[in-house]
Amino acid sequence: MVHIAMLTGFVLIAIGIYGALTNRNILRMIVAFTVANTGVNIVLVSVGYMMGRTAPILDAAVPVAEAANRIIDPVPQALVLTAIVIGLGVTALMLAYAYRLYDCRGSLDISRFRDLKW
Amino acid sequence: MDFEWIRIPHALLTLLIVFLYGLLLGAVIQKIGARAGRRHGIPFYQNYIDLIKNYALRTTITHGFMFYLGPVFRLTGGVGLLLFVPTIYGVAMHENFSFAGDLILALYFVFFGSLGMALGAGESGHPYAAIGVSRGLSQVTAAELPFAIAVFAVALQYQTLSVTDIVAAQQGSVFNWTVFTNPLAVTAAMMSFLGSMMRPPFDVVLAPQEIPIGPPTEYHSAYLALMQSNRAIFPIAKMVIYMNLFFGGAANWPVFFLKVFLLYLFAAFVGVVFPRFRVEQSVRWFLVWGVPVAVAGLFWV
Amino acid sequence: MVSAIHILSTGLGAAFLLGLLPEAWRGRAHLVTLAALALMSAIALSWVLAFAFDGQQMVDVFTAGVSPPFAINLRLGMAEAALSLTVCLSGLLSALYLKTSLITQGRRAMAVLLIAVMAFCGIILTRDIFNLFVFVELSVVSVGGLVLLSDDNRALGAGFKYLIVSQVVSILMLLGVIFLYHAGGTLNIDTLTAANAAGIGTGGLAFFLLLMAVVAEAKPVPANGWALDIYQAAHPAFSALFSAAAGTAALFAVDKVLVMGGPTWPPVVAGIGLFSFVAANVLGLSQTHDRRLLGYSSIAQIGLVLGVVGLKDVVGEHYLFIAGGILVAHAVAKAGMFWLSGLVAERKLSAWAVLRKNPILLFAFATFVALLVGLPPFPGFYAKWELIHALMAQDRVVLVALILLGALLEATYLMRWFGYALKRGADLESVQFEVRKVAVVLTAALGGWGLGYVWGELSGHANLLHSMALLFALGFVVLDGLPAWVKNTVAIAGMSAFFYVSYPGYDPLQLIFASIILLGGAAIFVAGYHERGRRLGFYPSAMLMYAGLAMLIVADTTFQFFAAWEVLTVGSYFLILRGKESEPHALSYIVFSLGGAFALMAGFALASGGVSEFAIQGLSDVAAEAAPWVFVLLAVGFMTKTAAIGLHIWLPGAHAEAETDVSPMVSGILLKAGLFGLFTLLMTMGKTQMYGVELTHVLMWIGAISALLGNLMAVFQEDAKRLLAYSSIGQMGYALFGLAMMNHLGWLMALMFVINHYVYKSMLFLSVGGVAKRTGTKLMYRMGGLITLMPLSFVAVLIGIIAMSGVPPLSGFGGRWIFYNAIMTAEYKLPILIIFLSGPIAFLYLFRLIHTIFLGQLKDEHRRITEAPFWIVVPQMLFVAFLLGFAVVPGLALRHVDAYIAQFFVGGGLSWDGLTITSPFGYWSPVSIMIVTGAIFAVLLAWLVFLNHKAQKVKQFNIVFAAERPHRPETTHFAWNFYAPYRKAFGFLLKPYATWFWDGVAGAFHGVAETARRFYTGDGQVYAFHMLGFVLVVYLIAMGM
Repeated sequence: MVHIAMLTGFVLIAIGIYGALTNRNILRMIVAFTVANTGVNIVLVSVGYMMGRTAPILDAAVPVAEAANRIIDPVPQALVLTAIVIGLGVTALMLAYAYRLYDCRGSLDISRFRDLKW
Repeated sequence: MDFEWIRIPHALLTLLIVFLYGLLLGAVIQKIGARAGRRHGIPFYQNYIDLIKNYALRTTITHGFMFYLGPVFRLTGGVGLLLFVPTIYGVAMHENFSFAGDLILALYFVFFGSLGMALGAGESGHPYAAIGVSRGLSQVTAAELPFAIAVFAVALQYQTLSVTDIVAAQQGSVFNWTVFTNPLAVTAAMMSFLGSMMRPPFDVVLAPQEIPIGPPTEYHSAYLALMQSNRAIFPIAKMVIYMNLFFGGAANWPVFFLKVFLLYLFAAFVGVVFPRFRVEQSVRWFLVWGVPVAVAGLFWV
Repeated sequence: MVSAIHILSTGLGAAFLLGLLPEAWRGRAHLVTLAALALMSAIALSWVLAFAFDGQQMVDVFTAGVSPPFAINLRLGMAEAALSLTVCLSGLLSALYLKTSLITQGRRAMAVLLIAVMAFCGIILTRDIFNLFVFVELSVVSVGGLVLLSDDNRALGAGFKYLIVSQVVSILMLLGVIFLYHAGGTLNIDTLTAANAAGIGTGGLAFFLLLMAVVAEAKPVPANGWALDIYQAAHPAFSALFSAAAGTAALFAVDKVLVMGGPTWPPVVAGIGLFSFVAANVLGLSQTHDRRLLGYSSIAQIGLVLGVVGLKDVVGEHYLFIAGGILVAHAVAKAGMFWLSGLVAERKLSAWAVLRKNPILLFAFATFVALLVGLPPFPGFYAKWELIHALMAQDRVVLVALILLGALLEATYLMRWFGYALKRGADLESVQFEVRKVAVVLTAALGGWGLGYVWGELSGHANLLHSMALLFALGFVVLDGLPAWVKNTVAIAGMSAFFYVSYPGYDPLQLIFASIILLGGAAIFVAGYHERGRRLGFYPSAMLMYAGLAMLIVADTTFQFFAAWEVLTVGSYFLILRGKESEPHALSYIVFSLGGAFALMAGFALASGGVSEFAIQGLSDVAAEAAPWVFVLLAVGFMTKTAAIGLHIWLPGAHAEAETDVSPMVSGILLKAGLFGLFTLLMTMGKTQMYGVELTHVLMWIGAISALLGNLMAVFQEDAKRLLAYSSIGQMGYALFGLAMMNHLGWLMALMFVINHYVYKSMLFLSVGGVAKRTGTKLMYRMGGLITLMPLSFVAVLIGIIAMSGVPPLSGFGGRWIFYNAIMTAEYKLPILIIFLSGPIAFLYLFRLIHTIFLGQLKDEHRRITEAPFWIVVPQMLFVAFLLGFAVVPGLALRHVDAYIAQFFVGGGLSWDGLTITSPFGYWSPVSIMIVTGAIFAVLLAWLVFLNHKAQKVKQFNIVFAAERPHRPETTHFAWNFYAPYRKAFGFLLKPYATWFWDGVAGAFHGVAETARRFYTGDGQVYAFHMLGFVLVVYLIAMGM
């Protein structure tokens, strides 16, 4: 189960990067990157998952004393939350860029923006 | 070395003898050259007459300060060269002012007169004078090279730069002369000798047979007379050096006269036989033929 | 002490506060921004001071009330504090600089700027890898925002490319972080290190990904196309921040992360860094856009520091000193340069000519270039010295060579740029710059000097900024507003006083050189009274050169020697650059000189075995296997200064195109530095063999060939100053030859040349310069017949050429006489033959010099000119008097040196009894020669005057001219191509092989740069692909290692 999740994550990353590197359209590139980001997040979560354990919420069902043995590692989940937020921020910035790039050139083709080089 | 005033009259005596002999010798050599060309040639006293005439001329002009000084430089060079070298070996009264410096002084003093005269001639503004200087300087750089190497070889051979000591080392037998102990160096030096005597094949500098060219172009009257005086003294002064370095020097005046005459004759002999080189040809000739012989002479030591 | 966390909280808090302010309060918002940045800087500064002076220990700052690994911790040591300060200050100054843009854009832009600075500080401070990721992403987002500040539309594209690449990087980084966590069970760097997480399971790969992610932030070649585009298009003030702060942060992150990975990875990082350093500098050669060029330079510098980070173990205890030195120098200079570029309207390199009219900005520009090149007294200089020594201590010769090559390339394009700014482009009216921006630039420049002082104090060597000579020279920067004659007087008085004070401390050899440098330099300064106005920039440059020279001759250690060497090189470069047409020549001078200096540095480092404080006397005990290499390196270094053949191509232009009174300085005095070096080298190391070849024998050959070819080339020059310049090559060849003979008289001859060459070359350059000033040309065939109009100049040239040609009775003959005596005991005969040949050749060019200028036909356009300016003639007359005096009593100067040299050789000295100087082979009596020659001359002159006193002066054309009439002075003056037959005979020797060779080298580098930079296609996807490919290739290489 863990391995399937992790594998899925890596496949998504690969698909995302492949998409980002092959699509000329800026919006498609952004979408591809979100796919890749999702993949990364799945990998993150799957790394922290441990078979047969419960969610890391300390309440009546999981007393503090037993927590160390019964819950899964909460850190990756916390990281994922942060990573998602950051990913969102970056995606938003990229979209804002896409908007202004289109405003500027009337095109969303990445190969049109090559006037800076060498 | 302590200086005695008596050296001055002694030196003047040397100078006078050399001067008179030089004028005579110049005419004689010229006559020999003419006879070789089936011409009659000038009388042997011609140079004396010319000199007196030129000193007597009163029509004089000048092109400026350096022009005026040029002949003075020239003759100072000749006289100085003669007096910085001992003329007669072993005779104190003809050692002249050789206490002032050794062989190297003589070698470099050669240029004193040439440089001064070239400057004087330059101020005349005559292009031929400048052309002559340009040719002369070009040629002398190559012509001096075998001689310089030969001198170095000789100095190494005798381990001294003092002319007197070099002559002393050659005494005793004819076979002690450098020409026998280091024939290669002497051969090379004699090639240089040809280059410095203003005779064919190396006389394009003055080109005496055609249009006047070279430094004397604008000089006349007393200026020319000074230069003529130099032409009597300077070659002999140079031959004294050759004689001292390579041919055992001279212990008395008759030997001196003979050796100088033979050396002069050698230049004249080559001169009548060979045609004239252009400057670049003579430069190459000295480098291709003179230098290897001189180098061989150097390693002979 | 305020906790370090407040550096972050201030930035963050102020950013939130800005959000609360009304939109209309833009000015106030800007003040809030500045205040926040100032506070952050103040906190960082207080820590720096505490670490520096109060013995403060490194502190950990805990968050969330729990100690790591259960919570994030920050760490603050000296390095963190200093780098945070760098980041915050560059943020503060950029914010100040950006005032107009920020106020237009509003408070959101200001908030983004604060976040950026905060994020960079966070990257430096945090000890948690996930937190590191967060700060990196924050910096990405804020950088993405700040790029938009630019007026350039293309910045949009650049920003987007950056985002694409950073997406790829962030994926790598996150994967690295999570798998490292998986392996080590923690996110804390120290705990991970302790647990050796990188060695467990997938930890190795994870570490690699994390490392590559932080390395990518340091913009390594070739995965850095995006960064170049940003540098080119973004607002310069942002680029300043991006280069100074982001680069700093990224490098520190690499340093931090690297400790986790064990011994495999530092060499990989070092390789990446040094590759970037060299490659970016090669690519920089063909850049014509100022900001893109700065980008390349930035990448190179960061690459170098990255290399040092990778070499941390190799450089050992000096790590912080070296890496920090290069890094802060880079940060200050690069930020300053970007700020400067904001003042320049156009993007061509030559457009920086607008700075020319503004002394403050020019001073700043020069400071920044010097900081980047690593010239003394800046931090990079000390750092590079330590770095090279540390590497040499471990025998990393290849690395040394690479670093020095890269540094030389960088110096080339920076110096070229500086030359363009000073000499090319339109001479614009002075432009009014905004005071605020100028103030920011000036702050950076002064900061650079301050850092120079700090690094000098830290270096463990003598602080260069404590050197009296250097301070005196730098004082002229302050005095530069005064009139030239005041500064001239101060300079002459200062140099004389310095000589007077130092006099008792000199040994005879130093005394000779000191007299030439200080008294001789003062004598040449006399000509400076000719200049009217303020003569901006001349005195600081000249005095810098003299200060370097004065420091050189008293240097005890290799460090002092090298520092002095660089100081004099820099001063003379600025001096040479002043000439009207001298820009390309000054460039080739500085490139050759720096190349030579680097050879010296490598040689010293090799000699000392990497000990950075090493006495010069220690050169005599260099280990046998290293000795020949040391000898070669040092000799090559010194010979670039004496312009030995092959390394000479910079000299003719540099000397000939310099100003009238600069030519004698750089020829008569500066060249002596090389000879002094060679003296030092031979005195300490003596004869050295390499593979059985006697190296002094090689030097003899080089000297002889230099003498020949230098003289020969001089013969064919039409330009009078070039003729003199080529003749210097020949003269230095003689001196080198004399030294390499390795006998008593050879050295004495070299010293004689040192003195003589100074006198006659200074004199000739001044005379010829004076003539050129009057005639308006340096071409000899356009002059002629000037003797009556400029008699004093003529006399100077006359005496000069007589002395130089070696004709008795002047002092040049003394040199020849000693030469002949010296060769009597020389071991090698063949090179002597070359010297024999070259001697008479000097007559050719000397005669040509005097004839074509002063003799021959006067041209119509020159009939009204007068003698050279008074103050230019005065020093010439001093030299004439000296030459005549020195000709009669050479013993005054030489006999003490003769005695001094005796300690190095057994026998062979001269004896100085009475008036006659005697050697083992011959004798020479200068006084007698002078008297005899003078007496004969006087008698004959009197005789001629007696005969000829009525001589009548005739007009110019009154000459015997074989049946024709002279047409015009131009056609009658035999001057052009004076030695045509000689060219036919010797022309084959004059093919410019050396020039072809060096042109080929330069062309090859430029060709490579031009081709290789096409790698950066400008396509964002290609850049992302570069990044992936880079990671893959590095991995394969690392695994293969």
